[in-house]
Amino acid sequence: MPLRHIALIPVAVAINLALSALVDPTGLPLFLDTTGTVLATALAGPVVGVTTGVVTTVTNSLRNPTFLPFVVVQVIVALYAWAAARLGLFRRVATSVPAGIGLGVLAAAVSTPISYAVFGCATSGGVTLLTLLGRRVGMSDLGACAFGSFVSDFGDKTVTFVLVAAVLHALPRRTAARFPLALRAAGRT
Amino acid sequence: MSGLHPYTQLALATLLPALAWLVPGPRAPAIALAAAVALVLGTPRPLRRLAAVAVAAAPFWLFLFLLHPPARAALVGLRLTTLLGAAAWVGALLAPGRLVEALVARGWSARAAYLLGGTLAAVPLVRAHARRIGEAQRCRGLATRGALVTRLRAVHALVLPLVLSVLHQLDERVLALETRGLGAAVHRTPLDPPADSPAQAAARWGAAAACLAALAARIA
Amino acid sequence: MTRLSLERVSFWYPASDRPALCDVSLRVGRGEIVALVGNVGAGCSTLLCVAAGLAPRVTGGRLDGRVECAGPETAGGGRVLLLPAPWTQLSGMGVTVRDEVAFGPANLGWPLERIRVAGERAMARAGVADLADRDPLTLSGGELQRVMLAGVLTMEPALLLLDEPTAELDGDGAAALWAVAREEAGRGAAVLVATSDLDAVPDLASRVVWLADGAVRADGAPAAVFADDAIWREGPGGPAVADVWRAAGLAPPWPVSVTAAARAR
Repeated sequence: MPLRHIALIPVAVAINLALSALVDPTGLPLFLDTTGTVLATALAGPVVGVTTGVVTTVTNSLRNPTFLPFVVVQVIVALYAWAAARLGLFRRVATSVPAGIGLGVLAAAVSTPISYAVFGCATSGGVTLLTLLGRRVGMSDLGACAFGSFVSDFGDKTVTFVLVAAVLHALPRRTAARFPLALRAAGRT
Repeated sequence: MSGLHPYTQLALATLLPALAWLVPGPRAPAIALAAAVALVLGTPRPLRRLAAVAVAAAPFWLFLFLLHPPARAALVGLRLTTLLGAAAWVGALLAPGRLVEALVARGWSARAAYLLGGTLAAVPLVRAHARRIGEAQRCRGLATRGALVTRLRAVHALVLPLVLSVLHQLDERVLALETRGLGAAVHRTPLDPPADSPAQAAARWGAAAACLAALAARIA
Repeated sequence: MTRLSLERVSFWYPASDRPALCDVSLRVGRGEIVALVGNVGAGCSTLLCVAAGLAPRVTGGRLDGRVECAGPETAGGGRVLLLPAPWTQLSGMGVTVRDEVAFGPANLGWPLERIRVAGERAMARAGVADLADRDPLTLSGGELQRVMLAGVLTMEPALLLLDEPTAELDGDGAAALWAVAREEAGRGAAVLVATSDLDAVPDLASRVVWLADGAVRADGAPAAVFADDAIWREGPGGPAVADVWRAAGLAPPWPVSVTAAARAR
């Protein structure tokens, strides 16, 4: 792995871990903890993206090990982001929004079984309330859990994708030129 | 306990929650939690640490009792609390720098060790940078509340400057790392390798075997 | 003996048509200190990267011409570059300043004893020996920059490249750093420093090179280079003493330091 990618991973991980506090004042329920992973993948490919996701989980787990089982989600996010970049979905905001929604569905689908089996679906207040709501409406245990995860992930992943598309378009040419994949992903070659 | 090799510390911290999850019935998690609490009591400022574990675990217990019948809620709650307790013990004893040194001493390349070490340094710096950007934007009158569109614009105005600035600095980072030899294909000298012993290595294998046995028993 | 030799070097960054360096020829010898001055964007930092062997190898881009560095092989041919901002150079692999300083030699696989001795010596020379057990993240910008200097000195480079090294330092810190640069030259290292601290240049460097738009406009002794009115009109100017003489309407060459001014009277 070239040194540029080795140096990218720590900053991508730091982005993953710094954004939720940054957007806290807006009051929106966003974690944005896969933004660095998606960005690293768009800049440097799936291996860098997956590594970013794994290192993010490991670093987070040193303080709060309940994140450990969700490393699978980070890996899936990286792979999905790579596919999206190859398909040119970051080229316009119009395409990045549905791509983000698609990731929300996928991420919820992957995290639900983990959340259910390991945590009894009690991962956060929002998810808990949504799960209760789902049960009240008549969904099964697992179905309600999936409902809760999806509602929580849908907005988060959509915003993540749009932000990464915005970054790729806003990168100064000289910086973007260091990452050939980035120029192609943003359609700026 | 703090003199143990970081691998041993991690193995023990993984064993307790693993057994809590793998061994069926409520007694295993209760015993594992008791063991974790006992370990934490051996660290500096134990009561403060236990209080932090309790505070971290409390929301989970609340959600669990809302969602599940008491027996199941208590079972999952005990498991989660064991995990948090074990992590608190490791957090007290294991400086991340020591873990990185242990990895290097075991033959990890400098670049691989940098993935963890560099991250541990970058996270607080980027967080501080994020705080400064947040303050600067608010000083400029950025509206962070109100209609959804306003809030989303605020997200954009907060996140973009941070990410662009961090990526811009990446160039300098790469130059600095390269000039200080990280690109070299030479094996890095460990500066302070933690001491290990055959007894500890045997204990680690024993812990792994215990986990596998529990897993096998669970599947059978 | 020449440590560094650039012959007709032109350099283009990736995806850029305008050359960052244009037909630059430059020599730095053993024990010599050469100062690079120029406006922002003139190419001083790029020139240092080329001299350090980092451009185009790490930055990408295209290089025409020849770059030669003679000297013992340690890191990339015995040359190390100190960058202006300390926080981006922090490796984070060291929980103490001592370990952070040892980062470079450890990466090169030096034996532990050699690292320890070189590290202690470098920290003493950079004036950070009393910070040896501190956590680098708790230091101020100026302290951290001196720690980074120690990290560079500890690699015992034959060619020392400094990019705006006093940017984060106060007057005393800057004076101490220039003293270290002179010491290194005294030991036989070649020193190439890009700086906007023009007052320090005459006492520090035996030669000054003025870069403008990537090309060498002047290369000579400080008094000669700062005697040319062009560097004042189109370039970064010069030492404050010379500025005063020039503003008073006196004929060049103007004294470039206070001692020279005192002698001129």
